[in-house]
Amino acid sequence: MTTKADLSIDFCGIKFENPFCLSSSPVGNHAEMCSRAYDAGWGGIVYKTLGLEKSFKIVMPSPRLSVYNYGDKRFVGLQNAEQITDRPIKDNIRDIAFLKKNYPNKVLISSIMGYSDDDWAELAKMSEDAGADMLELNFSCPQMARKDAGHRIGQDFESVSHFTEVVKIACGLPVMAKMTPNITDMIPVALAAKQGGADAISAINTIKAITDIDIENFTPLPNIHGFSAATGFSGPSAKPVAMRFVSDLYNSKELGLPISAIGGIETWRDALHFLLLGGTNLQVTTGILRYGYRIIEDMIEGLSDFMIDRNIKSLDEIIGKAAEKIIDPSEFTTRYQVVSVIDEEKCIGCGQCYISCHDGANQAIKFDSEKRKASVDEEKCVGCLLCKHVCPVWDCISYKEVDAKVTKHAAVF
Amino acid sequence: MKKAINRTHIEQLKPMREPLSLQDAIKESNRCLLCYDAPCSEACPAGTDPAKFIRQLKFYNFKGAARTIRKNNILGSICAFICPVEKLCEQKCSVVALEDPINIIGLQRFAVEYGKDFGLEPFQKKLKNKGKVAVIGAGPAGMSCAAELAKKNYDVTIFEKESSCGGVPELMIPDFRLPREAIDYDIKNLLDLGVEIKYNSKAGSHGEVKNFLSDGYKAVFIGTGLSEPYKLPLFNRYSNATDYISFLKSIKKNREKVNLKGKNVAIIGGGSVAIDSAVSAAVLGAKKVYLIALEHLDELPADKEEINLAHTLNIIFKAGSQVTEVIAKENQITGLKGKEIDWIEPNKFIPANAKQIDGTDFSLNVDFVIQAIGTKPGEEVKKFAHGLKTNEKGIIAVNDNYETNIPGVFAGGDVVNGGATVVQAVGDGKKAAESIDRDARTCVFTRIKMLINKRRK
Repeated sequence: MTTKADLSIDFCGIKFENPFCLSSSPVGNHAEMCSRAYDAGWGGIVYKTLGLEKSFKIVMPSPRLSVYNYGDKRFVGLQNAEQITDRPIKDNIRDIAFLKKNYPNKVLISSIMGYSDDDWAELAKMSEDAGADMLELNFSCPQMARKDAGHRIGQDFESVSHFTEVVKIACGLPVMAKMTPNITDMIPVALAAKQGGADAISAINTIKAITDIDIENFTPLPNIHGFSAATGFSGPSAKPVAMRFVSDLYNSKELGLPISAIGGIETWRDALHFLLLGGTNLQVTTGILRYGYRIIEDMIEGLSDFMIDRNIKSLDEIIGKAAEKIIDPSEFTTRYQVVSVIDEEKCIGCGQCYISCHDGANQAIKFDSEKRKASVDEEKCVGCLLCKHVCPVWDCISYKEVDAKVTKHAAVF
Repeated sequence: MKKAINRTHIEQLKPMREPLSLQDAIKESNRCLLCYDAPCSEACPAGTDPAKFIRQLKFYNFKGAARTIRKNNILGSICAFICPVEKLCEQKCSVVALEDPINIIGLQRFAVEYGKDFGLEPFQKKLKNKGKVAVIGAGPAGMSCAAELAKKNYDVTIFEKESSCGGVPELMIPDFRLPREAIDYDIKNLLDLGVEIKYNSKAGSHGEVKNFLSDGYKAVFIGTGLSEPYKLPLFNRYSNATDYISFLKSIKKNREKVNLKGKNVAIIGGGSVAIDSAVSAAVLGAKKVYLIALEHLDELPADKEEINLAHTLNIIFKAGSQVTEVIAKENQITGLKGKEIDWIEPNKFIPANAKQIDGTDFSLNVDFVIQAIGTKPGEEVKKFAHGLKTNEKGIIAVNDNYETNIPGVFAGGDVVNGGATVVQAVGDGKKAAESIDRDARTCVFTRIKMLINKRRK
């Protein structure tokens, strides 16, 4: 039998067998789906956001999705116009109760969205009664058909603080507030949630975006009967933005709340990135939409192997380790200079590095058309590494440190 | 192993490679590394510039890609089906260091067909204000030279002895390798440029080549190709032995008339035309098709893909063998005897270098023999151009500018290179056109200079 590392986490006093959860979305739409996710190995589920029909009737737009493609690579990002659950509240509550009864060791987080104090309180109480372990307050859905819901609340500090407080009073469960990235600085909103009593922050919800346009009829996609909207964008290409916000939250000294990180996780390496930037808990949707629940196997096995290889006993040892190294660009040292190094053996002579350096950098690469080999002019190279990034051979171009006293074109202020 | 194709259904015989769908083309062009100073483009004798049209495809500039091909290679559509890319651009592709080379010919075909399907604007007729040029032969070299000259505003007339345009590809390459529409597209482009073609015009009907020059043509380009097939004396007496030119031409003209049903056919030769003949014989219902070539299997000059196609049709390769004796009843061949051979010296694939191996005798029942052992220039070239310097085989000698020993007379294509690829002929034609243009300009320049000098005096 393979040795497995201990992937368990303690998040807001709740034990998760592993940090991987479904995020609140169609992947956790009902009991049957959630059962299969648990069976596949997911540590927890953030159930699809509940709302009260009496406050608002949910009608899903159709079509609902569009993708961002790059070259021949499809689905590098996903745009959705999904709403919160359109199932009756009583069905969802029954499902949550069923899941908690049948999977007592798995974690179930109920995501809720209200429109009034009463709504929030009622949804919180119902979830608690059904057996949910925790609540996630959806302050961040970017495409609610109702204008006073979703991320518009998430941009309003007072509402965030107020509704969090309402929920905390209504029930005894730990509460995390889900943040919208459609804001310049997430910290004030997170602090507002903290002020209201939030126990944790989850981030990010999707980024308002437009992914594609049908150039036949000049209509952005998804084309919902002739119209479209900027709606939630997620997946691999949203990950860099998510990583930035997660590290911001982690590095905020004032906040000091645990983080459930979300944004483009598909592999254990993505997961590790978020752990290193300060996420304790991790949530996934787009990866599952694309590949199914089964991706959990590779995330668990890969992360476990990494921990064993590096002799890491608990994820606590690594959480935030990379976030600590994030500084303000104004603090960069100018006493460090590298230049590119091209491995002539590995160079296949395509000359992409030459073109990019010539037209986009410092004209520091020479190309021998006879031998079809590229080489670096160290006098001119400023070590930007554009060449390394365009090279089709992954390990052909590296870099080395050179005497930084010979200042090149580096920024010196 | 490829599945054997039912020989009776010629429709099943597709061109060498499957056409690319839009999705395939996008994926394939995205594999391209967009090399600096791209070796694929360097490797194209016609200067088709695959690196550029692949880049255009990658950046969704599909019509631009079609324009590039048409502009650089007037036979761009024909080449997109028959070019031996695995020995040219694809062989030089940088991607081979990492994975399979880019399917360049597939992308070329995609781009050409995209242009066709989505209404690429036709070539504009050019002004004809730079004088007349005569082109002899409407094959690849002649078409290419004519197109280039027309673009440079020359008034070009092609004199073609056959009743159609296209040369070897049009007359001999079987439909399953080169569809009619592909040829027509290139011809249309040529005519759109304003080139005139005079058909059924025997080279020399205008008299001597020098008559053209005295008739006001600024230059003559000879692109008559090789029309005279080599034949082995061994088969001279027999009525059921033919050569590949007659055979392939007759199929192109009327496939129904050629009946090979139930016959055992032997092809002598191992090049592309030998394979074309063998595949055609198989498709026309031959019982057994033998391909007897001096070269061993790995030495055959034909393309690998063509050879694979022949394998799928169960063509029996007698590679590395030589016919030693014909068995005949009156003037009908009934069988062939042969022996395997070894080369006396390595890498010299000529009959004189072959040594028969004892004890390797074989005999085959054969009802029909097709000789595909090469061609030489037709006799008419000599008649037409007195004093034209050729070698003993009739191959025309030219200098680096494709000019013959007769000033103003240029030549290119097979009649100069002794038989190479279509794409090579296209390249020759282009370069000759540049020389002709340069020559004409220098003439004008010299004349002006003389005039100026006169006035000064």
